[in-house]
Amino acid sequence: MEKVLLKNTENPNSADINEYKKVGGYQSLPKAFGMQPKEIIEEVKKSGLRGRGGAGFPAAMKWTFASADPKSPKYLLCNADEGEPGTFKDRQILEKNPHLLIEGMVISGYAIGTEYGFIYLRGEYPAAKDILNRAIKQAYDSGFLGDNILGKGVKFQLAVHQGAGAYICGEETALIESLEGDKGQPRIKPPFPVNVGVFAKPTVINNVETLSNLPYIIEVGGEVYSKIGSPECPGPKLYCVSGHVEKPGVYELPMGTTLREIIYTHCGGIKNGKKLKAVIPGGISTPVLPPDNIDCKMDFVNMPKHGSMLGSGAVIVMDETVCLVRVCYRALKFFEHESCGKCTPCREGTEWLRKILGRIENGEGAEGDIDLMLSVSSNMLGKTFCPLGDGAASVVQNFVRHFRPEFEEHVKNAKCRFK
Amino acid sequence: MITITINGKEIKLEKPVTVLEAAKSAGIKIPTLCSHEQLEKYGGCRLCLVEVEKIPRLQTACTLMVADGMVIKTETEQIADVRRGILEFLLINHPLDCPYCDKAGECELQDLVVKYGPATSRFKEKKRKVPGGLEDPILVRNMERCIVCTRCVRMCEGVQGASAIAVINRGGHSHIEPFSGGRFDCEYCGNCVSVCPVGSIMSRLHRHSYRPWQLMSETETICPYCGVGCTLVVQVRDDIIKRVVPRIGTPVNNGLLCSRGRFGYEFVGSKERLTTPLIKKNGMLEQATWEEAISLVAKRLGEIKDNFGSSAMGGIASPRCTNEDNYVFQKFMRVVLETNNIDSTARTGFAGAQGFIENIFGQGATANIIPGLSNSDAVFIIGGDPTAINPILGLQIRACSRGGGNILTIGHIKGLEKFNPVVLKPEFYSETVLLEGIVSALKNKKGLPGSNQKLEAKVKGINTAVEEIGEKCGITEEDFTKFIEILSESSTPSIVIGKEIAQSSGGSYKLLLISAINYLMNARIYLLSERANEQGLLDMGCAPDLLPGYRTLTFAEFRKRYETAWKVSLPEKTGLSIFEMIDAAKNGSLKAVYIMGENPVFNLPNSKAVEEALKNIDFIVVQDIFLTETGKLADVVLPALSWSEKDGTFTNMERRIQRLRKAVNREGMEDWMIIAEISKNMGAKFNYSEAEDVFKEIARVSPLYRDMTYEEIEKGDAIYPYKGEPLRGVTEEIQVHNPPEPPLSKGGLRGIAAGKLYLRLERPLFHSGTLSRKAPALVNIYPEAVARISLATAKSLSLKAGDIVKVSTKIGSLELPVEIDKKVDSSAIMLSNNFEDKGAFSLMEYTIDPVIKAPCLDGNEAKIEKVK
Repeated sequence: MEKVLLKNTENPNSADINEYKKVGGYQSLPKAFGMQPKEIIEEVKKSGLRGRGGAGFPAAMKWTFASADPKSPKYLLCNADEGEPGTFKDRQILEKNPHLLIEGMVISGYAIGTEYGFIYLRGEYPAAKDILNRAIKQAYDSGFLGDNILGKGVKFQLAVHQGAGAYICGEETALIESLEGDKGQPRIKPPFPVNVGVFAKPTVINNVETLSNLPYIIEVGGEVYSKIGSPECPGPKLYCVSGHVEKPGVYELPMGTTLREIIYTHCGGIKNGKKLKAVIPGGISTPVLPPDNIDCKMDFVNMPKHGSMLGSGAVIVMDETVCLVRVCYRALKFFEHESCGKCTPCREGTEWLRKILGRIENGEGAEGDIDLMLSVSSNMLGKTFCPLGDGAASVVQNFVRHFRPEFEEHVKNAKCRFK
Repeated sequence: MITITINGKEIKLEKPVTVLEAAKSAGIKIPTLCSHEQLEKYGGCRLCLVEVEKIPRLQTACTLMVADGMVIKTETEQIADVRRGILEFLLINHPLDCPYCDKAGECELQDLVVKYGPATSRFKEKKRKVPGGLEDPILVRNMERCIVCTRCVRMCEGVQGASAIAVINRGGHSHIEPFSGGRFDCEYCGNCVSVCPVGSIMSRLHRHSYRPWQLMSETETICPYCGVGCTLVVQVRDDIIKRVVPRIGTPVNNGLLCSRGRFGYEFVGSKERLTTPLIKKNGMLEQATWEEAISLVAKRLGEIKDNFGSSAMGGIASPRCTNEDNYVFQKFMRVVLETNNIDSTARTGFAGAQGFIENIFGQGATANIIPGLSNSDAVFIIGGDPTAINPILGLQIRACSRGGGNILTIGHIKGLEKFNPVVLKPEFYSETVLLEGIVSALKNKKGLPGSNQKLEAKVKGINTAVEEIGEKCGITEEDFTKFIEILSESSTPSIVIGKEIAQSSGGSYKLLLISAINYLMNARIYLLSERANEQGLLDMGCAPDLLPGYRTLTFAEFRKRYETAWKVSLPEKTGLSIFEMIDAAKNGSLKAVYIMGENPVFNLPNSKAVEEALKNIDFIVVQDIFLTETGKLADVVLPALSWSEKDGTFTNMERRIQRLRKAVNREGMEDWMIIAEISKNMGAKFNYSEAEDVFKEIARVSPLYRDMTYEEIEKGDAIYPYKGEPLRGVTEEIQVHNPPEPPLSKGGLRGIAAGKLYLRLERPLFHSGTLSRKAPALVNIYPEAVARISLATAKSLSLKAGDIVKVSTKIGSLELPVEIDKKVDSSAIMLSNNFEDKGAFSLMEYTIDPVIKAPCLDGNEAKIEKVK
């Protein structure tokens, strides 16, 4: 497949505007400005583009809602708070192809009818911040941002806002709170950001990867784009693979490539010829899969059929040397640390689960601890304010579902044999 | 119409509400912890999760809005599990120190666990610890008990507007801390205490002194402090007030209180209370029996009346006493002592301002509903900080701002600085020019409506140009224009007037100008009132020129009505005002004065001179609850029952008549009863056996309170005139006193008197005067008098915060610590009149505005020097 999102990224200067322009960059912009905003949204609708942040919400639908809201001004927010453990796909765009994102944001800003864009960048990406700011300056200087883009009178102002290191700020309403200067905690929905978002104005929030698809959709048209990968959720997809594979990294592949193909064809299989033990397919919050369940197509539609989710496309591969109790414990430690504290089940449940898992991993687990853990996690699941708590609970449930004997062994032997 | 079904029960709703509210309206209880009817929606505790058909996920009833056809289940097995699960989560880190916790018995978490919760714990680890170390004299925090429902934070920020506390850290480390880090640096309203569902933030005042179920009574009454008239619930055990709490649904304060109302009650149980009458013998006050005291008072008053005539006698009534007390007091003065020399400290501003404004606009000009302020689209404030003087009224102004209304202030108002005010800060003595400028600008913009010729005649000629404002007030054209634009474009403005207007140079003229603004803007006036029954006292006729119901004494027709009712003939001559009484005392023509519940030696300006004047009086009776500065001069001191020990009514600044109820038993007599006893001794029969009898008479004779009964008042919303007749059939000419201003050059007074300092009165949130000084909690929050000066003054005199300084004026000096406040005018030294021997009034001279008869306190030049 021709690279769309990572086009020219092997070029060490790919982040420079001239390099971007050399490979056809900023060519979609004049084309987009020649279209009516509605036509662009129609084109995106035809393309079948779904949000790449994890939820897979149809992009065109979000845009339609926001542009239909009479309130003004509207805002376009790029969610670059890439915090899901295992995920580093957006970073590739932010650092290697920032102009693709900028071009995509100008196009979507024009389509939605907003003049203001923000990139909410995760606090731990200092390099990306500099690269983005440099790229934004270049874009302003070249007339791709500002008050009269391409001399067409289109206005779009873009600024980077860096987060302070909270996972929860990847959740769109917590992100808005944080952007407004408040503590990052999710808001009550409805109203949804498309109607009441930043400063109570209609706000579209899209992931970096989602917005970066725009120039290509405009270039080739929605029809052509929709033929890439899975018909239900087409397009190129960035899969970022970490863990025990020979060649970890970010791979741009058609949406719907199977997990097996990603691991064994593109990443060169399990490192040092070891056996595959488990895969987390879409970032830590998505259900873990055992080795016999990796023939699933990695897209929003097929993954749930296999008991997991595409999530952010962050594939974490674990070989036979890995203690899954420890992985689970480490995951819960993360969730406990990142729980914002707003709702009871997440605030208390993540801590409790981490404590139980810690006991088991340290060989201090008791009979009944596994069931207690399942009970606690089911008291969380579906009861939390936002998906963070659900994610934490489902990690425990899925690890126990697929690997219960390993947990039982820890309790029974009162130790971890992987230590 | 929206129809929903909850637990099979069909519910019809007029407008969309939350599922929780809908359920409540149908009598279906859904447990909640974070939700609170006064606060913004939150959805954090997750206890109120319910099942909704067609929505796969459980929904929080407190955030979900009903939609037509919604089918909801709140009592299923799944929901029971959820509630048990959530409560278990809340309990794992909750200390379960219920035997020790003051909240036990009224703890919402405890109650819910009893009903839904797990009986045993599955949690094996140690509970979380939260770093402590925060000691506060009033608010006790215990953050280990905190369930992070954030009610306190939402209250503090979203309702009180103090924004003093926040959730710090995240996840399990979340807890509430004041931004100040250490001791609370807040308004001490204690509204956080009201909403805390557990024992995390509590009042230290009653700590470990009782259990909620040991309370013997709960009495709903009215706050003794300011003129807002908040409803309080006084909780009592063994005739000791244990706690004062608000109640949701009361008309004025609706579940909110301020620091004085909530924490200022301890004066009732003070050991310093007077217990027996005192009679001065050989210059010393000695304990006496009631019989001795009453017969002595009756005898001496009789003698003085016989020897010097009625005009040698005067009475000072009390804005802290009930309507009943004050009614009987003025009746005693008029009927028994036969004099109209009756007045009160309401004369220091409120009475004159109210009379002046009503003379222009007619009855009830200042009687607007307090919560209505929040619906204004602009509030214009002048002459004081409403958030300190009338805190609960101040909250309505904050709510107005929060709802998008504009706050326009003349001068800096500390309590509103976070509420995006548009401020015009005129130089000293140039307020009049600014007001003239505003009137001129509004006249130009809106034109004179023509409906009040009397007022228009007075303001027609006023024409002050923007340039003049710039020159004299030091206000830029840009700022002035912006202010006028916002004011003139508002459609539902309110005007809030503080006492400083009446107490400043040209008070009556300023009131005329403010009235003109009110007229041009068709606004509503709110006249701040510093005392609980200042309004009622005036209603009762405790004024030298007015009979009860503001019936002008000099009109024979009005007089006759009362003569018929009281079966006497009344003195015709207008009596002396409180200041005239002081003058009369000074020149020796006032021979006796009866002072009920007032402390003029402290509460009147130039208090030293007041003291000297009173020393000239042959016979002084002071009826009070403490031995005050004034009491020490008295020949007879009569101990009265205080607020919460007696029945009666107060009338607040909205003219809402409210019931004061007895909550605590104490031996003694109510003020009216003491006076009735004295009357009896002097041969006049005042036949009342209880306060209600007095009120019945008031309702019979006063046109404003006509036909009103305690029963009617209980129903709420007893705002007069109650079936009454118009207040003023006849209005008088508008008179104003506009004294020549000091020659204003560029920069107002500061320009001509560069380097000079003036003493100005501070009105702190935490004090009111005599009562608050005896309330240890309030003293604890604000323990001593301080002189507040600007940074510029501090710099020029090399003073730093905490230095002991000597503040002196022509008439005296005080030594006290200094505080530096950026917002204080550079020509001002701010000093309150709240602390014994350290009152600003001891250093302030005054002149009387001949129209409103209020003291002008401007122009008290002062010096400040370092002592150590």
